[in-house]
Order: sequence, then structure tokens, then C-alpha cells
Amino acid sequence: MQKLNYSLLFVLCCAALYLTGCGRRAPKADEDQMVLHLSLPTKAQTLDSGNMRDVYGMMVAGNIYETLYKYHYLKRPYEVIPVLAADFPTISDDNLTYTIPIRQGVFFQDDPCFPDGKGRELTAHDFVFAIKRIANVKYRSQNWTIFKDRILGLDEFREYTTDFKEEWAVDYSYEVEGLKALDDYTLQIILVRPWPQMLEIALGDTASSPLPREAVDYYHSEIGHRPVGTGPYRLNVWRRGSYIELVRNENWRGELYPSEGEESDAEAGLLDDAGKPIPFADRVIFRVIEEAQPQWLLFMRGELDSSGIPKDNFNEAIDASVQTLTDDMRARNIELHTYVDPSTFWVGFNLRDPVLGKNKPLRMAISRAINRQEFIDLFANGRGMVAHGFVSPGMNSYDPDIHTYGFSRYDPAEARELLKEAEAVHGGPIPPLTLGMPGTDTFARQYGQFLQKYFSQVGMRLDVNYMDWPTYLAELNNGHLQLFSSGVSASVPDAIDFLEMFATKYFAPGGNKFYYSNPEYDTLLDRVQVMFDSPERTELYRKMERMVMADYPAVFTTHQVSYALTHGWYKNYKPHTFSYDVLKYRRVDGEQRGEYRDVLAELKKK
Amino acid sequence: MTAFIIRRLLYTVPIVVGVLLVTFVLFTLVGGDISYQIAGRDADAETIAEIRREYGFDKPRFIGEAGERLNSQFFDHFKNALTFDFGYDLNREKITERIWRGVGPSLALTVPMFIGTLVISISLSLFVAFVRGSIWDVTLVVICVAGMSIPYLSFIIFGQYFFAYQLDWFPIFFVPDQSIWVSVALPVLIGIAAGLGNSLRFYRTVMLDEMRCDYVRTAFAKGLSTRTVLFKHVLKNAMIPILTNVVLSIPYLILGSLLLERFFGIPGLGDMMIQAINARDFFVLNAMTFMMSLLIVVFTLLTDICYAWVDPRVSLE
Repeated sequence: MQKLNYSLLFVLCCAALYLTGCGRRAPKADEDQMVLHLSLPTKAQTLDSGNMRDVYGMMVAGNIYETLYKYHYLKRPYEVIPVLAADFPTISDDNLTYTIPIRQGVFFQDDPCFPDGKGRELTAHDFVFAIKRIANVKYRSQNWTIFKDRILGLDEFREYTTDFKEEWAVDYSYEVEGLKALDDYTLQIILVRPWPQMLEIALGDTASSPLPREAVDYYHSEIGHRPVGTGPYRLNVWRRGSYIELVRNENWRGELYPSEGEESDAEAGLLDDAGKPIPFADRVIFRVIEEAQPQWLLFMRGELDSSGIPKDNFNEAIDASVQTLTDDMRARNIELHTYVDPSTFWVGFNLRDPVLGKNKPLRMAISRAINRQEFIDLFANGRGMVAHGFVSPGMNSYDPDIHTYGFSRYDPAEARELLKEAEAVHGGPIPPLTLGMPGTDTFARQYGQFLQKYFSQVGMRLDVNYMDWPTYLAELNNGHLQLFSSGVSASVPDAIDFLEMFATKYFAPGGNKFYYSNPEYDTLLDRVQVMFDSPERTELYRKMERMVMADYPAVFTTHQVSYALTHGWYKNYKPHTFSYDVLKYRRVDGEQRGEYRDVLAELKKK
Repeated sequence: MTAFIIRRLLYTVPIVVGVLLVTFVLFTLVGGDISYQIAGRDADAETIAEIRREYGFDKPRFIGEAGERLNSQFFDHFKNALTFDFGYDLNREKITERIWRGVGPSLALTVPMFIGTLVISISLSLFVAFVRGSIWDVTLVVICVAGMSIPYLSFIIFGQYFFAYQLDWFPIFFVPDQSIWVSVALPVLIGIAAGLGNSLRFYRTVMLDEMRCDYVRTAFAKGLSTRTVLFKHVLKNAMIPILTNVVLSIPYLILGSLLLERFFGIPGLGDMMIQAINARDFFVLNAMTFMMSLLIVVFTLLTDICYAWVDPRVSLE
């Protein structure tokens, strides 16, 4: 009897284990719907378009909100096209007044903030409200820098909002001369000075997405969790920090898959769906997976459609000798996509520092002393490019000959010679220098030690001050750091973002953290800032880059190269570094996805 | 008993004040001005000033100005903690709501893990104490030491890779549209396996101490069965260290498991803590530290009360 009891207990335990997970099979939720399974490496901070700057928030929100303009999905070089604008703007002769026709028949998604819960039609007033809201100082939007000193009367409106106690009390009927809805379908923007990149930087950015006033009034501080947009998807579920589910927006105006692209797109199958109505997927699921191992295992098991390559799994995915997929990846029908991120990283010099500021040979010596290629090999598995200039190769005006100038040459012998010169300028041995490093994690420490090694190899000493992010930012913006590790990623393919980092008028807390000041450069910047794209402007951009590089305000180290993997069933994937509204183009071949289990079984047998 | 409880509750006052002071100094003075982080990289002075005003960073640190001495950052910190109004996190979400939301998943993971570890380790410890010196005892001790020597992370990485990925017995990661028990099954088993070595060794020592006592020999001499001696006498007398271990573990159960939650995507408080650390969200960290200290104080008191309950020799007067 006792034996029977133990047996029964054992059976019950097994049953419990089975019910709670053991012996499970793959979930079958996708059978009747097309679902995209994606991951986010960190949680989306907010889905409030007006105060959003985190990449992962934008990866989600870019499919909920829409902007007036955006970049074409397939065409390269990137080409701006209207989205919520009915057409391109009419621009006055002085390039200051933009009259933008708004597309008619666009509706917000259904939401309880509207009467009867039915989304109303989009009007030009919604754009005015969205931009004024960013200017509201009480809203304290991170996106204010986009619009600061740009639109006539908007800075005065910001000043006006300082008198209010809180964000919600501000009266938005206050008239801004340069930002008006002439009627329901016409938006007028008058600029303080010409702004050739306005369409891309401001009107193509998620920040300027139209937001219904009703939603802000209804949700108040909850608006960050209750996005109300006009995009192809709407938020269905958001378990903060773990799971986001988007579903089709029934009110979406509809669009067709593009029928034009690059020459290679047809061969790559990217035009197979040309002219078909989008979005293809019924649902999009984002899972927040912060650790590399589960993210990688889920992808390898086919539970995620795409993935980056974690550092520890690089050799499993890529044959390093030829930088292509390994046989195992090919057997799984996994595809590799590589693209240059529009990013540049550097070790910056504070040119107000008495040791570094007036000692160009010293700055040159440091630049010559750092082996950038070794950094790329050691820290990024070769996924990077040496930064020969500060403009990323992803930019339209990138100078393909910039490497010939040798600004980022690794030459320790020359560095030693330059150091002697630097000591003469300084009037004695160079004292130990201090680098402000954002972060106290393993990577930060390894990077700090890497730099220290190269400094010591040429006879210099570098102390590294590892800091938490707020302290680093405060010290950086107050000009207290002697050297600092930093980087930037461009939001548009126009290099103006990079060039403005070296203007005297943008000294920190603006973008110029180097305190680089060159009157000739400033004059040129004023000139190019109001120039529309042209060969002349491209030449000036390149000239300005060389001017800065020749003054060595930083050791420009790397441009990041991204590797993305997708399963064969994930169709229409083309990396797009400047748009987040890409999921409507993506499609899943359900049959192919279903067959992956057989592929896994086959691989297991082998 | 009542006097004891009142006295112990009064002891908690300086402890709580001390915790509040330490967290304030750590997060406010040492942690840097978080306004810059909230404002973003190139924010202008007005935005930073507005953030400082909203979060009260523009107030004096410890003592307010004449006429409003209590209008300072420290008193705000004090008041918010005592009223359990921790305000908003960096993403403008109510911290109290986040904590409530995270408690359930954390407990779903840690309670079965804790009970499983406890039941298995106490049962095994009774067994090995009884057969001490035998091959069973030596083998289990060796396994325990080996288990204790392997880092916790290795258990997680191996367990996730082998049982979830290779054998496909469990989900690799949290499955939102299924019962939470499906997602916590593997982490619970990993947690039990990883914690067993330490726990078993502890309880084995406790049981061995008891087994050497005279009353055990007397019980056997009187002809009581092994089961009666072990479960009725030895286990009951070993309750004090077991209770200490159990009750003092409860606050940590509520806090969740940092690594397991992160690797398996369990949306509990442990995961929330790591996210807060990574995002440098001092508001959340501050709230969690305070809550944790409060729980420890309360459960320490509870442990003392339980002593009197299980052991008549203990007097709380």
C-alpha cells in the first residue's frame, strides 16, 4: 500500500511538471494570423511621441504614429516622400515659409479619448498642437532642441509657458506666428532662417507626429502608455518591461508596397510584393529580452524572426575568415544583412583644458597612439570601420577619400616624436591626463584599460574616471572633463548633425562638447546651414570636416557596422537606418516558418 | 509579549531613519544630478531647471530656509517614504503601481523555489544525518560542495540551454499569453538545484547537532521508531534555526530573483531592480531599498515572536 502511495505521488509530480511546462510543444497561436515576433534588448521607455528619444521606444512607436514626411523604404540614397502630407511643401522664395497640404481622410485610431471611442479625422491643428506641446517648458521634452531657434514665435511661446504651474494648464490657443493651421488641411510654418533639413529632421521625426489634443487631456501623465496615432498599428497590450503587442489599426488609410527600389532589390526579392496592400502582418509582438543568451536561443529555435549577433555567439554565426554565415546558419536558411550605422565614436579633448587646448602636437600624438583597428577586432568582432573622419559613411556627403589624409593613422613612432614636440610646447613633461568614461560596467573598464595601454606605449599616462551616466553628463556639459569618451548616431543622412558639433554657437550644453572654436569654420557653418543639397554644399561639408580633423579636437575611433540575422521566412527585410515605420512592409511566410521545426529535427539528427 | 513587541517596534524607528538617511546620501549626494540624465544629452538650461523644480532638486538638501525648515529634499524624501508615496520613475510611471505589479510574478517564482528547496533539503538533511558517515552522506556532501562551488549563473545558463533549448521541455523565455506557471517552471527547478547545496549543508549541520543530543539516544533506547524520532523529536527541536532561515528569507522572496527573472523574462521585482540599476533610476532603487529594509525589520520581529511559539523555553518578556 505504501509503495502504491509513493508511486501515485511520483505520477502526480510528473503530471504537475508536464502541465506546467515539461513536454511542451511549440505554441500554435499564429496559425490563423500573420504575426511578427521581434525582440527589444531593453524596455521602451515611453510611447509618447513628443518626448521620445530612445531607439527602442521609437522602434515600437514608429509603427503607431506617422509623420508628415519620411524616407522611402527601398530607395538608396535615401529619398524623402510625403506620408501625412498630401504633397511636398510649397516653399517661399526666401526659403522661410513652408505651406504644407495635409492628406485628407486620415483618421486617428479608435480610442476612449474620442466621443463614442471613434477616432476622428486628422487636421493641421494636430500638428500645431504636437509641436507647441514640445515647446511647452513644463512638458520638458527632450525634443525641444530640434525646434529651438527655428520657428518664428515658438521660442516666445516657450517663454510664455514658464508662467504656468504645470503642463496641463498651458493655453495652447496662444498664437505662434510661424506655426499655424491655415485651415483643416493646410499647415504653415515660418522659419527664423532657412532650414533645408526641416522635412527630414523635424517633420520626419516621430517627435512631430500629430497627437490629438483629446488624448493628452484624457490621459494626462498616462499618455506615455496610451499612444493614439494614425499609423498602421495600434497598441493592444503593453506589459511594461516585458511585452508589447501591436495589432492592425482598423482606421488606417491604407498603402501599397513600393514598386521601386534599388537595382539589387528585385534580385533580392524585395519587390516581389510590389503593389500589394500593406501592412501584411496582423500582429507584431515585441518581447523585451535583455540577456543575450535567451534572445539568441529564441532566434535559433525560430521563436524570433530576426536577431542581432551577440558577441559570445559571433563565431557560431559568422565564419570570421570570410565574414559570411557559417554552414550551420545556412542549413537553417538564416540570412545575414550587414550595414553601416550612421554613427561615430571618439575620445574627445576639452579644448579649454590648459594642457590639451593649446597643444595640437599633443592631441596629434594621442591620435597617432591609438590602434583603432585592434579596438574593432577586440571589442566588436571586426564589426566596425576605422573613423578616418567624423562624418559616418552612411551619410550622403561622406567623403570616400577621407582616409587618404591619414588623420586616424596609427603610428606609435610618430606619436613619440609628436610627444617630444608637445612637451616643448607645454614647457616640460606632459602630466597624467584624465579621461571621463561614462559607465562603470565591464565594457567601460576594458575600454579604459585598452586606452591606457596605448597611452603608456608612447610614454604618456592616462587616468580613467569611471562615472555613472548623470554624473558624466553633468561634468561633460559643464566642461569639467579633460578627455571624454563619447559618440553620436545621426538621425538623417545629412551630415549637418555632425558638423554642428564643432560650432562655437553650440558650446556645451549644446552639441559642441569639445569647445572647438574656429571662426572660419563658424562662418562656413552659417553658410551651409541655410544651403539646400547641392554639389557645392557637399564640397563645403567635406572641406569643413577636413578643417576640424586637422585641428584634432578628438581621437575619432570607429563607425559601427551592424550585422542582422533574419530567418528565411521573414520577407522584405531591408535595413533602414533612418526610419522606424518599417514593420508594415515585413511579411512572414507561414509555411516556411512551420517547416523550421523539421529543419531543427534534421539538424539534431546530424 | 506586548511590551516586547512595542519595544521592538520602537527600535525600528532609528533603523528606518538610518536607512532613509543612507539612501538619501547615496542616491542624492553620491549618485550625481539625475536631472541631466532625464533631460537628455543636449538639453538646454530651462529644461534642466524645470526638471529640478518638478523633482524638488532645487530645494535645499537637508534643512529648508528660514520659515520653512522642513521644505528640503531630505524631508521630502522622508515624507514620501513614510507615506509610501514614492512618486514616479524616470518614465513617469507610478513606482507604487510598478511594485504591486511585480510582486505577483516574483512570488510565483520565489515561493515554489523556496518551498521546494526547503522541503527537499530538510528531508535529505534528516536522511543524511541519520546515515551520517555512510557513502550516502559523503556523496551528498560532495555534491553539495560541488553545487555551492558552481556559480549561480552557470546553473541558469546551462539549465536554459539544455532543458529549454536542447530538450525543449520548457519555454526558453516568459510566455505572456500562457499561465505564469508555465514560464516559472524551469527557473524554479534551476533555483532549487542551485540553492540546494548551500541549504542542505546548513540543515545537515543543524540535524547532526540535534542527532547527537541525549534525548535522541533516549528515544531510540525507549524503542521509538526512526520516523517518530526524526520527524516528531529531531525536526521539532531543530525548528529554531529553520524558523530563522525561513522567516528571514521571506523579504527576499518578495524582492524576487534578480538573475532568474532577467534570464527568463519574468516581469517581477528582481527584473525591475536590474532595469532600474541599468537605467540609473534612483527613484525606483530608493523605493525598493526602503521597502526591503522595512520588510527585514518586520520579519526579524516576526522571527523573534515565532521563537516563543515553537520553543516554550524562549521568553519574550
